[in-house]
Formats: sequence, C-alpha cells, structure tokens
Amino acid sequence: MDKKEKNNIIKEKNLTGLISEKEKSLALFCIEAARRHGAEQARVSLSKSVLDTFSMLNGELDKVSHSADRSIFLYVFADKKYGTFSTNMLDERELERFTAQAVESVKMLAEDPFRKLPDPSRTASDASTGRELGLYDEAYESISSEDRLHIAENECIFSRIKSGECNSCTGNRAGMPGECKFTVISEECEYSDSVDDNFVADSQGFSGRHTETSFAVCSEITIEAGGKKYSGYWWDSSPFLDGLQKGKCSQEALKRAASQAGPKRHKGGQFFMVVDRSVSSRLISPVISALNAASIQQESSFLKDSLGKKMFSDGFTLLDLARTTGKPGSRLFDTEGVSTCDMDIIRDGIVKTWFINTYMASKMDMAPTSEGVSRPVLQTYYGTEPSSENSRAGDFGAAEMMSRCGSGIYVTGFNGGNCNPTTGNFSYGIEGFAFKKGKIIHPVKEMVITGNMLELWNRLVFAGNDARPCTRWQIPSLCFENVDFSA
Amino acid sequence: MDKQYFLDRFKVTVPQLEQLAGTSLSHGGDYADLYFEHTVYKDLLLRDNEVSSGGYHIDYGVGIRVLKGDKTGYAYSENTEMPDMICAAKAAAQIAQSNVLPDGRTYRVDASMAIGTKQEPQDMPDFYPAEKMWRDSKTSEFIAVLKKLEAMIFARDSRVLKVIAKLAWSESEIMMYNSFGELACDFRPIGSLVVSVIFSEHGKNENKTSSRSFRAGAEMISDNLLEEMASEVVSGIDARFQAIRPKGGRMPVVMGAGASGILLHEAMGHSFEADFNRKGQSIFAGMTGKQICSPSISIVDDGTLAGNRGACNFDDEGVRGQKTYMVKDGVLASYLHDRISARWYGLPSTGNGRRESFRFYPIPRMRATYMENGQASRDDLISSVKKGIYVDEFSNGQVKIGEGDFTFYVKSGFLIENGHLTAPVTDINIIGNGPQALADITAVADDLKIDNGTWTCGKDQNVPVSCGIPTVLVKSLTVGGEQF
Repeated sequence: MDKKEKNNIIKEKNLTGLISEKEKSLALFCIEAARRHGAEQARVSLSKSVLDTFSMLNGELDKVSHSADRSIFLYVFADKKYGTFSTNMLDERELERFTAQAVESVKMLAEDPFRKLPDPSRTASDASTGRELGLYDEAYESISSEDRLHIAENECIFSRIKSGECNSCTGNRAGMPGECKFTVISEECEYSDSVDDNFVADSQGFSGRHTETSFAVCSEITIEAGGKKYSGYWWDSSPFLDGLQKGKCSQEALKRAASQAGPKRHKGGQFFMVVDRSVSSRLISPVISALNAASIQQESSFLKDSLGKKMFSDGFTLLDLARTTGKPGSRLFDTEGVSTCDMDIIRDGIVKTWFINTYMASKMDMAPTSEGVSRPVLQTYYGTEPSSENSRAGDFGAAEMMSRCGSGIYVTGFNGGNCNPTTGNFSYGIEGFAFKKGKIIHPVKEMVITGNMLELWNRLVFAGNDARPCTRWQIPSLCFENVDFSA
Repeated sequence: MDKQYFLDRFKVTVPQLEQLAGTSLSHGGDYADLYFEHTVYKDLLLRDNEVSSGGYHIDYGVGIRVLKGDKTGYAYSENTEMPDMICAAKAAAQIAQSNVLPDGRTYRVDASMAIGTKQEPQDMPDFYPAEKMWRDSKTSEFIAVLKKLEAMIFARDSRVLKVIAKLAWSESEIMMYNSFGELACDFRPIGSLVVSVIFSEHGKNENKTSSRSFRAGAEMISDNLLEEMASEVVSGIDARFQAIRPKGGRMPVVMGAGASGILLHEAMGHSFEADFNRKGQSIFAGMTGKQICSPSISIVDDGTLAGNRGACNFDDEGVRGQKTYMVKDGVLASYLHDRISARWYGLPSTGNGRRESFRFYPIPRMRATYMENGQASRDDLISSVKKGIYVDEFSNGQVKIGEGDFTFYVKSGFLIENGHLTAPVTDINIIGNGPQALADITAVADDLKIDNGTWTCGKDQNVPVSCGIPTVLVKSLTVGGEQF
C-alpha cells in the first residue's frame, strides 16, 4: 500500500468515525417526523463509533478487525405514552417509515402520565462541540495500521520467553518465597483504539454532543506449572495515545499467572479481606445499583428508605465526579440530556443521593437528580487507629493494608457469584492469596465469600489511594474485617 | 428457504456475492465468508400494573471475514451497497497481507490444510417450528398476555407486591455466502417471556423469577405456558422467606434436574470449546479419547432440539446444525469446533461457529448442552447423602478455562440431613474444579430435564443457549456459607 492510498484510508476512516452535519440533520429529522406523526415530545440519540483491533497470538498477528457502527435511538412520548426504538438504517426514507411506525407502536401502549422529557432548565448547555471535556485525542486521526500492529507486537513477550531473553517471569511470585518453574502455554495480546461520538437532541431544543477516543492494550497469559494451568490477565487504557502504558501488560499478566501456581486449600473462617484495586469495583457495583430509583420504586433494592440515613461505616465516602476534564467516565450530560454535576453519593456512611431520572422523579414525587453514576470516586479512608494518622503520606494500597492487618486473605479476582438486589445477600468465588504477618504466603484455591452488602460496607477498615487512573470507576484497594470465607 | 427472497432482502445478486468473495481473497486469503443479517427485535414491558413501555429495534448489515491459515481479518458494513461492502472486504483482506511487515519480517501463516469442504446438498430439517410469525401478531394480543400473566400471579399469592413481566421477540433473516460458493439462508425466530415478582412478608421482601424462551413463533405463548410460569414463580416462596445461609465448606451436592445443567455449561462445556484447546489453554487440551469420568456419563451439545433456544439450522458459518457428543461413556469424544479449529485439528466442523450478530466474527460456542440419563432415581441420590446440600435454581456461573475452576450462584436449594431435604437455603455460591467435579459425579438419575429459561452465554459475545441435566450427585464441592 503506498502512502497516498494509506492516507485516503485514514481520511475515509475519520469521515466515518465522527458524526457529520448530514447525520446530525438526520437525527433532527427523526424528531421532526415524530412530531409530525403525532408525538408531543421526542428525543433522539445518534451514536457513531469506530473500533480497530489488532490481536496477537503467541507473538504473531492472529486477528485484525475493523468495526464501524452508527445507530439512532428514538424516544417517543405520544398521548401520554412512551416507547424506545432504534435502527441502524439511516437514510431519510427508512427513517420516515421507522418514525411513523414508532409513533404508531407507542399509541398501542397504556398511558403513563409520568413519562416526559426533563425540564429544559436541567439540560446541559455547555456540550456543543463534544470536546469540552478534553477526551478526544487528535493523535487518533493519524494512527495507521502499521502503528497499531507495532503497539500490539510490542506488548508480546512470548518469543522472548521462548528464546530465554526474558527472565522476568521466574522467581517473582507476588513477593512469595520460592522459585516457580513453569512453561508458557500461550500469550494473547491485543491493541485497540476507538472513537465514540454521541449526539443527543430533543423536541424542547436541547442538543448536546460527547466525543471521546480510547486506546487500550491487554494481555492474557496461560502457563503450566506442576502439571496444572494458570492464567493471568492485565490491561491498560487511556483516552490519549500518549497516556497509554504500553509494553507492560504481558509482563504483569505473566507475573499474575505465575503467582497463582501451587494454590493450597485454606481453612474457612472469618478473616480480614484485602481487595486489590483491579477488582474492587465489583463490591461497589451492587451498592450503586441499589441506589437507582427504579430499583427502589420497584421494592427491589436493599437500600430502600436509605436517603439521608447512615447506612454504612464512617469511612465510606463515595463521590460522583462527572465533570473532571480529561478523565475516563466524565460526561457533561446523561442520556436524558440532563446536565451532570459533581456530587456526594455517600458521605461518611450517609446516603446522600439516589439516582432519580425524570420519570422516576414524577412517579415517586421526588426531585430528580441524575439517571445514574458517571465517574464514581471512592475516597481514601485510613482507618480509625491513631497510628494511621502517621501514614497518610505516600501510597496506601494492598501491601500497606496487609501489613496493618497482619493476616487474612488478599483477593485479586472474583470468579462468578452474585448479589441479591432485594436483600443485599451476596456470594462470590474469589481467587487470591493468604497472608500472614503482612506477607503473602500462598495462593488459595476454591474459596467463596458470603455475606450481606450492608454488613460488608459496615466492616470497611481501609480504603486506599491507589485507584487505577485508567478506570472510569475510581475504586482503590479496600480492606474489610470479619468476612466469611468458605473453603 | 427461498434464496431469492434473501438476495432481494439484502439487495445483492449471486454475481455480486462472488465479486465480494473475490475481493476478500484478493490479498491472498484462503477462505472468505459473508454474513448478512436483518433483525427486528420487539419488546413489551409490564410494570406497576400497566404495559406502558415497549419498543422495537432494527439491525441490518453484513460481516465479512477473511481467513489465512488460522488468522482472521474481519470488518462489517451497516448497509449493503456494493461500494461499502467492497470497502469492508478490503479491510478484512488486510489479514492476508499483514504477514509481511513494513520492515520485511514475516508472520507464520499455515494454510496448508483446507478450511473444510463444500457441503453436499441434502434435505434440511427445520429446527424452529414457527407456526405463527411474530411479526403478524398484534401488539394488543401481547399486552393482554402480560396482563393475564400478572393477574394469575396476583391471584396465587397474597404476598405479591410487584410484578414485572417482559415479552420480547426477534426475527432474524440470515444469509451466508462463502468462497466455496455455498449460499445458506436461515430465518431465526426467538421469543422470550420473563416475569419477576417481589413478595413481601412481615416487612421483608424477596424476589423470584421465571422465564421461558424458544426458537419458535408466537404460538409459544399459550394459556398453558402462562399457568406454568405463574405457578413456578410463586412456588417455593415460603422456602425463600425461611431460607438460611448454610454453614459453608466442602460437602456432597445433589444437583436437581434441569437448571443444574449450568454445571455442564460452565465447568465442562467452555473447556471443550476448541479455540481454547487449539491454543493449549484449556484444562482438557490434549485429552481427546481419554477417560475423564464415569462410563455412565455422556454429555452432549445439541443444535437439533426443535424449538430449543440453542437450536441451529445452520451455525453462523453456514455449517448445518448437528448433535455433538463431547463425552461419550466417560470418554472425551470431541471438542466443539468452528471452521478454524476444525481445520487445525483436521476434522469436520461440529457446527459450533456462532456469533452475536454481523458485528462479530464466529467462534466456537455451545448450543443446548446436557447430560444424558443415568439409571438411578432422584430419591436414591438424596437418600444416599448424610449431610450435604440439594440445589435446583441458579442465576449465573463462570469458569476459568485454564485452571478449570468454576462457580455458580444458587438461588434456592435445601440442606440434606440424613437423606432428607430439610431447611431451605438461598444466595450461596458453589465452587469447584471442572475435571474434578466431573470425575466426582458418582450417580446420575433417570430424570433428564432441559431447562427452557432465557440462558445467554457471554463468552466475548452474547448468544442464546440452553442447558439440561438429570439429577446428579457430586461427592464433594465447596459451598459458600456463613462460618458462625
């Protein structure tokens, strides 16, 4: 492929990756058509994205994929009735037919007087270009297939391991004593980049746009040690190409795989549980879901009647920092077009916010807030002991927590499980390590934690300051006491 | 299937398909296929006593895949205009030229083995018995169905607080063409009905869910089905309110017939998927032909159960639906293959190449996975356990392919004490190791039941599946529970 041809492909890609004026006019056409066919109100959301992926298997290119999507979601409010519709067939004739059918379909449903667009005073007025939050990296426009291939290739360590060049994989088993002899069975690495562009408009005059790029690498390595296989996974991502931690995933994945070799059964009991920052969001997710007004209104939330009440330990403070420039997860408006704001969700264990959209606000006769969380940030909690005051400088992560707890289980992964949304009762399979005197002693096998989310978060001992910058949910390493482990 | 109907639907001709296949192979690929899809999905939701929301969604496009050896190039277009499809074909074709880097180094490409062969024409059974097209049914009929179901549930138990019911259906028109010149067309209906109920007793709330899903037409909705689901969703609620968390630990587990088939799906099925074995990652890699469990056990992955959620007339590579023994009389008989892994192993595809939509390339996936009947009775199995647990309702599961460690979440079950079911249990996790659990199945009952719930497998992409099992006794698994 010569340079001119390559540039043409790049140009074509960029034209298809971002929403054009013509596509915006098609979205607005849907609102106009919906009104013409009898809808009182309508909202349209036009999404467009391009994703390129280069996957390597054992150091060799295995898969190349190019995905380009665009679709229109139409929300119709007609005769006090409501429905949602979508299509990816975006020509005007198809959209005319689509919209007419949508309005006709809505009219078949039962009335729901609580359905309406948000009050115009609540919608965002500061999201016109889509780039206000600084989440679009112009470097995306010039990245080529060769660049992608080289980044993917540079993640790979398989051939270096096989040739004996790379020796980082022996000996280091997450600080555990003893060498680990193993054979690398496979290495799967992937580089991907994407651009996502979203344009939302409604019949009350709101329009907003959000555009972001994303660059990601990941690696999964499977090893065999002592006749058994173990796998390790690691990833990094960033809205910016320069912000991506390249060339480190396979090393970390290998370290994680090797660290699991030779697991031992650990007796069951109540122990300290330190949860690694890479998986700690799993424990906050049921809490955030339970704060959704739809769950509360349907009596299927273990946090009903919680607003303004102290439900958790003093150390539990969770914020939504939706408007942080340049950080993943930030957004200026939600899917209703409502302006986001930075706010407390839980402060010192007291529930400060339920996620109440326009519909639920009407139905529950409450003031609307936001339809959901954007960028949750769990605040650091150093514990209650006076000595903790001395250690506020520097990193506060899993290692420090294990040191302070003495012994317990360090959880580095969850394997299945669930949380009952109505009762908060949960049970998760876990993987990780036993630790004693603050040091990891061996990987554990076939362990399960069981409990209740309310009780668990009332047993919060520490929350670290080590949330990974690449994640939308900023949840650091956590430590809980008296957790039920079965084995 | 009327092939011309499908060609017209996607606005293409056979010569254009040939041209696209040719373009796809223009950079040296050795196999190409095209997957055209037009799906219409509709749903209706009953909540707070009214069917007040619903919608429909249209998805249309073509996915183009190019293989060179076992390497894949993939791209898709959301319209079927020739210039756009040619562009997608060129993007997918890149994989064939990417074995040479700008600096001159090369990648291994082993295309020495053929990617299957052209299938001989034969009469095709239709595994989707759709008598009444969903698209021909009136929305008002379905609204009445949801209201009727809700009324049945409220009538059955005074503790019912809320009912949420959702009826969803889709009809997909699929056309597949490959570089052998094979053209396969498939019309895929699927319907599902899910009802979730919140019960309240003495200020405490509990929930239960019932679901059914079939690759069938609108005739699947019947009074019998509504009666069955209404009864199912209220049955056992007394036990749910009384349920305890058992003391955790390792113990014998009797897995009830039906939904316990998730054990097979998670603990064994994924590890039999040939992509994991081809890469050496699966705990079952290299074990074909070996005895891996009791000779009384045979495990099947079946795309030929008419109307089943996992049924496939064709898989998504155009290979005919079939029934595959993964384990026959205790011996590992076959992995689950797509075309790539079949070529790698030098075997015919088992018809397991499936994908979520035209946006995804196919990979080996399960269909309906179940264990065949044994000879024991359910009561014998329970009475043989002195202290253990009986489980019969699940919500989800997960497996680590390499290690074989699996978990699944138990919504309901009972303690077994001295051979009898005693206290109900709920919200616990069971964890084990696939090969070990398989080897630890010590008895299989004669009551095979296929669970027709809305099971969806999420291995990279979501595809509808189902599972089933007779009652089995696993002599030791780890059960999560309270410690004091």
